[in-house]
Amino acid sequence: MSLLEIRDLKTYYRADGGWVRATDGVSLSIDRGETVGLVGESGSGKTTLAKSIIRLFPDNAEIHGGSIDYDGTEITDLSDKELRRRIRWQEISMIPQNAMNGFDPVYTVGQQIVQVIRHHEEGVSKADARDRARDLFDELGIEPDRIDDYPHQFSGGMAQRAMIALALALGPSLVLADEPTTALDVVIQDRILETIKEKQAEIDSAMIMITHDMSVVSETCDRIAVVYGGRIVEIADARTIITNPRHPYTLGLRNAFPDISDDDQELISIPGTPPDLVDPGEGCRFAPRCPFAEEDCWEITPEPQEYEPGHFVECHRADEIDYLQSAAGEKSTWQDATTGDRDAVVDGGIVDTSGADATETEGGSADE
Amino acid sequence: MGLREFVVRRLVQLVFTFWAFFTLLFVLFRLVPGDPTSMFLLDGMTPEQREQRIAELGLDQPLHVQYVNYIEQLLTGDFGQSFIYREPVIDIIVVRFMNTIVLMGTALFFAYLIGVTFGALMGWWRGSRFERGGIIVTLVARSSPEFWVGIVLLSVFVFWLGWFPSSGMRTTGGELGGGFIQRYGSIDFLRHLFLPALTGAIVYLATPTLLMRSTMLDVLKADFVEIKKAEGLPEMTVLYKHAARNSVLPLVTVMAIATGAAMGGSVVIETVFNWPGMGREMVRAVNTNDYPIAMAAFFLMGSVVILMNFVADLAYVYLDPRVEYE
Repeated sequence: MSLLEIRDLKTYYRADGGWVRATDGVSLSIDRGETVGLVGESGSGKTTLAKSIIRLFPDNAEIHGGSIDYDGTEITDLSDKELRRRIRWQEISMIPQNAMNGFDPVYTVGQQIVQVIRHHEEGVSKADARDRARDLFDELGIEPDRIDDYPHQFSGGMAQRAMIALALALGPSLVLADEPTTALDVVIQDRILETIKEKQAEIDSAMIMITHDMSVVSETCDRIAVVYGGRIVEIADARTIITNPRHPYTLGLRNAFPDISDDDQELISIPGTPPDLVDPGEGCRFAPRCPFAEEDCWEITPEPQEYEPGHFVECHRADEIDYLQSAAGEKSTWQDATTGDRDAVVDGGIVDTSGADATETEGGSADE
Repeated sequence: MGLREFVVRRLVQLVFTFWAFFTLLFVLFRLVPGDPTSMFLLDGMTPEQREQRIAELGLDQPLHVQYVNYIEQLLTGDFGQSFIYREPVIDIIVVRFMNTIVLMGTALFFAYLIGVTFGALMGWWRGSRFERGGIIVTLVARSSPEFWVGIVLLSVFVFWLGWFPSSGMRTTGGELGGGFIQRYGSIDFLRHLFLPALTGAIVYLATPTLLMRSTMLDVLKADFVEIKKAEGLPEMTVLYKHAARNSVLPLVTVMAIATGAAMGGSVVIETVFNWPGMGREMVRAVNTNDYPIAMAAFFLMGSVVILMNFVADLAYVYLDPRVEYE
């Protein structure tokens, strides 16, 4: 049985115009010790999805449906108090994007680690908790005496290590890492990722790695879920997502992170903006930005289809894999894409993605 | 630079600040129109008597000599004699000053205690009915004139319910003990203190409450608040030990300034409740050209402001580890 089983989860935010469907019907299961990457652009709902697991969202958010089974416990049924006592940090901890801001600046890092240990484990003396904090620091490659330093006395990389120490202090079974290395430079980023992987293997904890950086997930994750418009549009093992993706959005994301060793590869961005999550309507949410959108895409919401074992894709055209993959590599494909004007396309009765915008994007064809 | 050096350096700065302050006072009192004898001219003081008096006060000396004498006197706590009371200024002013410290200290203490506690809760429960109600109550308290608050409290608690005495610091005829505790700790005194202190607290309440609320709103956006919640700590721990603890920093400075200003006493509160404090004394001194009293009063108030700022600086170092010793 898997450690975490999310089924049809819906987390909505109350807003002036109604509900913002930040997470809108997501199912995801995670095994013990497994690392799953959540990839997607800002506002795609990947962070909301992860934080929903420990109900860590603002007052105007609520879980509108679905279930979260954590190791046999239905988390959505727990009271706030039970959640705090049994689940938070003890079972599921997190590493924030910017560790420097993740520590309270007026207490030493050691005090904060000791506080969380002693809060959750009864009868641990202050001295014992301090010793554990020192050991953690040592294991993570920080001088143990530095537990008495304040957060601002650490460098970015050191602070991130200290944050990992804090996150692992209670030996959690699941760690939510929210872009844990985005704030760091690339060299340190690699070392931190390695440290995370090592420690994670050591205590056999699962991890959800939230990022918009394809290179990070490809290095660290067993499986990758691509999140778009509050849904998981494609999920598979990391290798498949990197080498053999089927969803046009995944293809687009991959383009946005070109391989540095390939001189000829162009940086191609996905035009348009993330979808309106207040009233997404019927149809594929990516259709307005998708160069391959057909009439069906606008009208019928795609269901996840399993193409290979464990490889689910929500796309009507996912079976045309060879065409999608070759066309997605061309810059012109994306530049000529329709951008958001659904009615114009549907009303015209012809869905000709390359022709519809030819007049609007004259500059786009100049590259060819 | 270590903590010790920092304190020493601030102390040296403190000395210079005081010196500048003394000098300013000296200049100011030489600039005011008239001299200490002008009041008595109407009483038929002859020019000879006047000159004699001026010589007594040392005002016929060259300015730099006067200046040196003045500094000497300040340092020895000799503020001269009150023109009106014909008593040493120090005796009069110290008693008044203590009365004001007790009154305003109590008012400020409760205003900041309540303001910080409730301001923190208002920030924490943003958008709740508690917050909206809190803001209205605070603004009403803020906008009510002191004398009005005082009069309302008087009519309710004194004239209607009869719980508290109406004015003064002590019941007349009561035994006045010598020690501080007997003076300021007796039940009789505390009953007299309650209403004026409450008036002051109500008037001072708004600043800490609203400031605390708005800094809380900023601090609550910080990542560490989310992490502390994720750590499974109880809400009140996250609220007071972390969020409020960080939000209170800007209040330290504000409190230091407010305390300095409050030590001048509140003329209005002291008048409404007939409290023998600094505010009334100072107004009286200025009206009657009682320069020694006025100067001593300015001196004490200014000193408190300077000292409180010094204390605030030290408190900041203690409260915020990020403060660099320049």
